[in-house]
Amino acid sequence: MEENHILFESYLSQELSQDDIITFESRLKNESDFNQAFNTYKELSSFLEHKFKNEADSTAFQNNLKTISNTYFEKHETAKKGVRFKPWQYAMVASVALLIGIFTFNNFSSPTFSDYNNYETISLTVRGAQDDLLKDAENAFNNKDFVKAKAVFEKLLVQDDSNKELHLYRGIALLELDEFDEADSLFSKLSKGSSVYKNKAIWYLALSKLKQKDNGACIKILKTIPEDADAYNEAQKLIHKLE
Amino acid sequence: MSEKKIHEDQKYIDGLLKNNSFIIQAIYDKFVPKVINYIKQNSGDSDKAQDVIQDTLLTIYNQASENKLQLTCPFDAYFFLLCKRKWLNELKKSSNKEVTISEDLLSKGDDAQELAFETSVFGEKQALFTEMFQKLGTACKDLLTATFKIKSMEEVAKKLGVTYAYARKKKSLCIGKLTELVRESPKFNQLNN
Repeated sequence: MEENHILFESYLSQELSQDDIITFESRLKNESDFNQAFNTYKELSSFLEHKFKNEADSTAFQNNLKTISNTYFEKHETAKKGVRFKPWQYAMVASVALLIGIFTFNNFSSPTFSDYNNYETISLTVRGAQDDLLKDAENAFNNKDFVKAKAVFEKLLVQDDSNKELHLYRGIALLELDEFDEADSLFSKLSKGSSVYKNKAIWYLALSKLKQKDNGACIKILKTIPEDADAYNEAQKLIHKLE
Repeated sequence: MSEKKIHEDQKYIDGLLKNNSFIIQAIYDKFVPKVINYIKQNSGDSDKAQDVIQDTLLTIYNQASENKLQLTCPFDAYFFLLCKRKWLNELKKSSNKEVTISEDLLSKGDDAQELAFETSVFGEKQALFTEMFQKLGTACKDLLTATFKIKSMEEVAKKLGVTYAYARKKKSLCIGKLTELVRESPKFNQLNN
């Protein structure tokens, strides 16, 4: 380990011979642990350099920021304290509540998967050589051609298996094609990960259960969607309808 | 990464970086009220909002000065997303739940989402690095502080009363130690996934 760290430093300060550089760079390419350690080392060097070199500027910025912030909050926020609701505002809240009541009352029919499979159009076009395939995937998905979408997602995933977004869309395509086993295992894998698609995956796993008419499992899964997830409100409504 | 067009709101980033009071003031006047409202409507108050906003602006400043931050979307959206994410994380921390980050899916490769995500990961890494740096032994902390403040390793060696070669070696071993501490922390693995 220590040898590696000394090597990292020599590489970063450009003190290696031409041959050693070649060896070093090929290790970066071929040894993933070496590569990760080097990148963290480099990141930390840059962090430390910045931390100490910019200390004076950074302190000046923080002080200035604090002053402006305090002035702003004293002026705007204390003035607003003590504002009360006016009677007409209560009336407005009450009438909105009434409308919501009427709406939910009329909405008692039992929910099905088809109430929920209106996906927003996706857009995958990113830079790089895969653009054509991405475009194909995007078009197929947006035109609800899930057979084709599934095939293209699979091709893309061969090139980049770490792309969680593509995994999620592939899952949706599988779900649309009633390939439940595969869809469910994919969603539950995503939902246990830490990607930004985690909560979406839980939501689609629940929808899959709904489509399979397993309402009990659906409710159970919906209840694991955390409050700050985008699907939280919708999930709560669905639980309410199913129970 | 392809070259994307820099948004005209880059002026706010540059202004922060130059510690330009007019720009900072303009950010408060234009963009802060929305954040305060959001936090107040989501179980916070104006004191909490003040802290979140200050921390967020500091993170943007740090990223801009360390990594060059290029804004490809309106500052408004970027700033709001960052504050929102920070606030939701604080809520989760105080309610002792697992810290996960939820994101609007199908966000259409949205620049604001992407940039806000990068910046918040940057901020969390900085906090982690700072925490781990504190865990180093005094000898390492002193040596690294001297190394990065003074720049010239000869001077560092003289100041610490050691040989140049020893100072050089020690520097890499100390950063190495820090590297290991960081890589072993569960938080780091979470951030890198």
